[in-house]
Amino acid sequence: MKLNIKSLNYATILTIFLIVVFTIWGELSKSFKTFLVNLTGHHWVTKGISSLVFFIIIYFLVLRFVKDRPDSISQVTYTVIVVILAGVIIFGFYLWHLFL
Amino acid sequence: MAGYKLLIAIHASAGISAIFAFLLVFVELLHPREKSVNRAKIFSLLGTMLIFVSWLAGGYYYVTYYGSYIKPVIKEGPTPWIHGVIMETKEHVFLFLPFLSILASSIIFKFDANLLKNNKAKLSVSLLSALIVLIGLTIAAMGYLISAASRTTGLL
Repeated sequence: MKLNIKSLNYATILTIFLIVVFTIWGELSKSFKTFLVNLTGHHWVTKGISSLVFFIIIYFLVLRFVKDRPDSISQVTYTVIVVILAGVIIFGFYLWHLFL
Repeated sequence: MAGYKLLIAIHASAGISAIFAFLLVFVELLHPREKSVNRAKIFSLLGTMLIFVSWLAGGYYYVTYYGSYIKPVIKEGPTPWIHGVIMETKEHVFLFLPFLSILASSIIFKFDANLLKNNKAKLSVSLLSALIVLIGLTIAAMGYLISAASRTTGLL
């Protein structure tokens, strides 16, 4: 299997985005958190499994439409920026949530 | 109780070892030579596997013990923010690591010996490895704070 770095980058970025959305949405919406709990018995387990499944799906989906190019590697910079922002957002959210 | 302590030990040691593995990837690519890429491959694969081991061990402990016994006591104690901010951030930011490690390892395997010549690819792997190390160390520090708070409960 030939690895498609562009596809992996998209999968990583979108999975990080999914984790942030699930995290914040889960805290702000009791019904969504209950939905996550009902899927596997624990909201965090659901987040973990769904992010893994999502990552795999996105990788193979993007693979069908996007060709890997020599300059695809430059997109790793965007991945790094997204990860740092996502970490700050999650930390900031919980800090804000504590003082609510 | 001993079983749960073993889970934390596996979680922490696998996590720290994974951080070390990706630190070695970073170091290998600083001044890479012929054998550097092969070593980077091994370290990145090892690091990725260790992150998954840490995920499973820590996750099992979190779901079966921490939520029921440790969390309520920390939240009622003098430092509720240890759970409310530190643990919550840790458990979600940790989820970034498996995907970052897969990406870093994939780039190393894809470019293989070309990593020596392709500066962009080399820089990308170095950047990802550094990020994994920094996130890992931050998570480890958070884990230390949570463990310290857990010990005040007398349950750990």
